[in-house]
Amino acid sequence: MNRVVNVARMQLINKWTYLGIPAIILASAFLITYAIWALVPSGGGAMYSGAAQSVMWYFLALGIMSMTQTFPFSQAMSVSRRTFYIGTLGLFAVVALAISVLYYVLGLIEKATGGWGVNGQLYALGWLADQPALVQIYFYFIAMVALFMIGFWFATIYKRWQATGMLVVWIAVAVVLLGLVALATWQGLWPEVGAWFVAQTPLSVSGWATVFCAALACGSYLTLRRATP
Amino acid sequence: MTGTATPEVISVRNVSKKYKDSLALDNVDLTLEGGKIYGLLGRNGAGKTTLMSVLTAQGFQTSGEVRVFGHRPYESDRVLGRICFIRESQKYPDDFTPAQAFKAASMFFAGWDQAFADRMVEEFQLPAKRRIKKLSRGQLSAVGVIIGLASRAEITFFDEPYLGLDAVARQIFYDRLVQDFAEHPRTIVLSSHLIDEVANLLEHVILIDKGRILVDEDAESIRGSAVTVVGPAALVGEFTAGRSVLHRETFASLASVTIDARLSARERAEAGELGLELAPVTLQQLIVRKTMAATGTDLSVGERDSDAELEATK
Amino acid sequence: MLIDDSRPIFVQIAERIENDIVDGALAEESQVPSTNEFAAFYRINPATAAKGVSRLVDEGLLYKKRGIGMFVAAGARAKLLERRREEFFRQYVQPLTREARKLGITSEQLTQMLGRSDSGTQLPEGSVAQ
Repeated sequence: MNRVVNVARMQLINKWTYLGIPAIILASAFLITYAIWALVPSGGGAMYSGAAQSVMWYFLALGIMSMTQTFPFSQAMSVSRRTFYIGTLGLFAVVALAISVLYYVLGLIEKATGGWGVNGQLYALGWLADQPALVQIYFYFIAMVALFMIGFWFATIYKRWQATGMLVVWIAVAVVLLGLVALATWQGLWPEVGAWFVAQTPLSVSGWATVFCAALACGSYLTLRRATP
Repeated sequence: MTGTATPEVISVRNVSKKYKDSLALDNVDLTLEGGKIYGLLGRNGAGKTTLMSVLTAQGFQTSGEVRVFGHRPYESDRVLGRICFIRESQKYPDDFTPAQAFKAASMFFAGWDQAFADRMVEEFQLPAKRRIKKLSRGQLSAVGVIIGLASRAEITFFDEPYLGLDAVARQIFYDRLVQDFAEHPRTIVLSSHLIDEVANLLEHVILIDKGRILVDEDAESIRGSAVTVVGPAALVGEFTAGRSVLHRETFASLASVTIDARLSARERAEAGELGLELAPVTLQQLIVRKTMAATGTDLSVGERDSDAELEATK
Repeated sequence: MLIDDSRPIFVQIAERIENDIVDGALAEESQVPSTNEFAAFYRINPATAAKGVSRLVDEGLLYKKRGIGMFVAAGARAKLLERRREEFFRQYVQPLTREARKLGITSEQLTQMLGRSDSGTQLPEGSVAQ
């Protein structure tokens, strides 16, 4: 157990990776967006921005990095694969939860200040902002975990089977997606598909994402168990 | 003091490792005892790193059984925590500095000695605050050496630890190794192809070639176990008749024959009377001869520099 | 390097200590460097150095004081000199007299020759054997 905590502590030795860089991305995304809003005159309507997502994409990169760089190092530190896995995912979950709460709080501030005084929408996105606090936080959290897991899982595949593995996975993903599209087209299911997407709520999307994350978490653990540094 | 009770710490039974088109380990059987410095010798690609990876559960064997401290090392934090293995091509997180790598090591190795690590940073003149990915090959090796030594792990593996280190830095490593080992006896496995440099440090020699163990012997019993006889070809032939010949060279009417035998005082005197010269065979030469004899690449004539092949490519 | 490849290192370490006892560098009842000091100095495996030292302990030339270290035993020098004289006899004198007999040199002539040779090179007692 102690070693699991140490795996997390090890990744915090360099404060920049998990704390500094996300903070900078968060701050600069806000400032740049705000500057654009200030410069570009709006027609009086609400202004949207997807800039808040940028931190989430950074976690995709983090997922890849922790597998390609931190895993080989953890092996040199005589850490078992299981311990590395639990420690890394645990640390990530804590950081993701903290950022989710921060997003929620920023969303509250955004609403209270009338969109930062310029009627902007950066955090309190219309579709989500009316939901209960827990749903909002859960949504952010699971979105970040999903991105991290995608990065982590792809990197495990790469670690274990190199370029061949990546190629096979990409082809498999493409085949499945194309198959679904073909199926929908052939069966004339597009109206139903569209209706299904429209019917989704933040909570149901989060639910699907949780299933997806759980599948990736199992998949990457099983792949990691036989990966070599 | 060393050389006291030495229970078995590693046992390897019928271990093989297959890659797609090659056999990296071929039915390896080994027993390592505690408190000794082992030399794991062999050519590049002989299977040294593969063997150490399997012993530390960083890699996987295709078949066979490995026990470390009596347990399977795979996924056992209890066993792994007593082992340290820094690879020759060890990867570090991109943004780490040596100082941060040492800090990480201090969390995972119970015996970690920070003061010792600090002293070695100075001796190796390692820029501890520079990012590891900006270090030279030699400085990178120094990071591995420092982690390996300062971890004081009960079993420490050094995988060609001297790559890129200059002669002075290598000497610092050997000196610190001997000194620290004397004060804190433990099991050291030193993989190397610079045999001459490490020969005197070793208590036990394991020679691996093409995944097979060729020699597994006490270093002292190997020392002086072969001799090179030089002189007129006919006399040399007569003197070495019926002995196990490791290497034969001829030059004009002279012959130089290395035999796998420890000569008695009487035999030495006899050689002297015949006017033959006896030259000692270094551990490195012996290892080269045995490797070549096993592969069947030698026993030819006139290859004066063949022993350079094992090592001098670096 | 002070260690050569022809013989086991522990034998060489033992011989070095013996030489120091014979030529007085290590006086009787004085302390011998620890095996770790030998290991560091000659850059050899500590276990090998220990083996060399314990060989001399077995022969009664060194003894161990608990918790302090190794010391040269009383009478060690005399014992070594005796052994080396015996070796000298077997290694040099016997072949010498054998060869002298072949050449018809009488023992008087041989003694005379030795006297002549001795005035040229003076060797201190006991330092003949290597």
